[in-house]
Amino acid sequence: MATRLKFENSCEVGVFSKLTNAYCLVAVGGSENFYSTFEAELSDVIPVIKTSIGGTRIVGRLCIGNKNGLLLPHTTTDQELQHLKNSLPDQVRVQRIEEKLSALGNCIACNDHVALTHTDLDKETEEVVADVLGVEVFRQTVAGNILVGSYCAFSNKGGLVHPHTSVEDLDELSTLLQVPLVAGTVNRGSEVIAAGMTVNDWTAFCGSDTTATELSVIENVFKLREAKPSAIVDEMRKSLFDS
Amino acid sequence: MKRNPRKVKWTKAYRRVHGKDMTQDSTFEFERKRNRPERYDRNLAENVLKAIPKIDKIRVSREERHHKNRMKGNKEKDRKEAKRELDTSIHLVKDPIASRDIKVNVTQQLPEENPLMEE
Repeated sequence: MATRLKFENSCEVGVFSKLTNAYCLVAVGGSENFYSTFEAELSDVIPVIKTSIGGTRIVGRLCIGNKNGLLLPHTTTDQELQHLKNSLPDQVRVQRIEEKLSALGNCIACNDHVALTHTDLDKETEEVVADVLGVEVFRQTVAGNILVGSYCAFSNKGGLVHPHTSVEDLDELSTLLQVPLVAGTVNRGSEVIAAGMTVNDWTAFCGSDTTATELSVIENVFKLREAKPSAIVDEMRKSLFDS
Repeated sequence: MKRNPRKVKWTKAYRRVHGKDMTQDSTFEFERKRNRPERYDRNLAENVLKAIPKIDKIRVSREERHHKNRMKGNKEKDRKEAKRELDTSIHLVKDPIASRDIKVNVTQQLPEENPLMEE
């Protein structure tokens, strides 16, 4: 189910939050509205953690993670590192990496099995990514952009990429990632997909400016409508027994 | 004026590079930056806090030992230098007026003391 929300009047939800199948990181805002929306949707299932990275609120763009691990840039302070380690479940491995390209969320896009990275990423970082996140790593570009983490967002069920991605590129990426991909926009035509939305296997959060068309595209490609099969079965039963 | 700390005599960088201060020791491993945090454990934290002053003490004693080892071969040299200085430049140290013999007139002073003692 896709939810529309804002962070302090900004529709760039993917910048201020990081959503995975095992946890959710949220930035600290002036009011608790942003955090409350996530909490209302997710807190029964996964931990929702308020944090900063290196004292900044752009947590979604600085870190990268999936259900196996979380990678943080070298600007993360020791206290933040400890806070994250304490708040996350034990299966999630937390590690800080020394990498020149410190905005890991912009350079790497991943789900639980595959990751796409910036072409100029260090060899060591690639190895750490493969080890900590437990993924297969591919160096790719998306629509000619090297910042793959910003211009595409994908989960285990599907993916959304930059609107100007060619059909051949789309097919190639689709075979690499083994998920269906669609070229689309978010937040009323914004091309920076991953900054405008954040997604996991059963839910997505988009900026308020996202049109109904964009939202329906998102719900279809990430298969969010079928995410709760129990709800569908209940509805069917109600209609059958209604007299 | 930009000066390379490794060439400026009084900096730690110079001392470490030129082996004046200890560089490699197992006590420095405790202060290294770590990238994989451990979950908070009260016992662990307590033990660490207790260990910090102990590690400090050990580090200081090892640094002193290192310094002493460095200064070890100096006794012979110091003694030779001192001997040479004594032979050649003793005139700088000895005062010619102080080394002259002073004659004291003992007999004149004795009768002076008697009236004092009688009082």
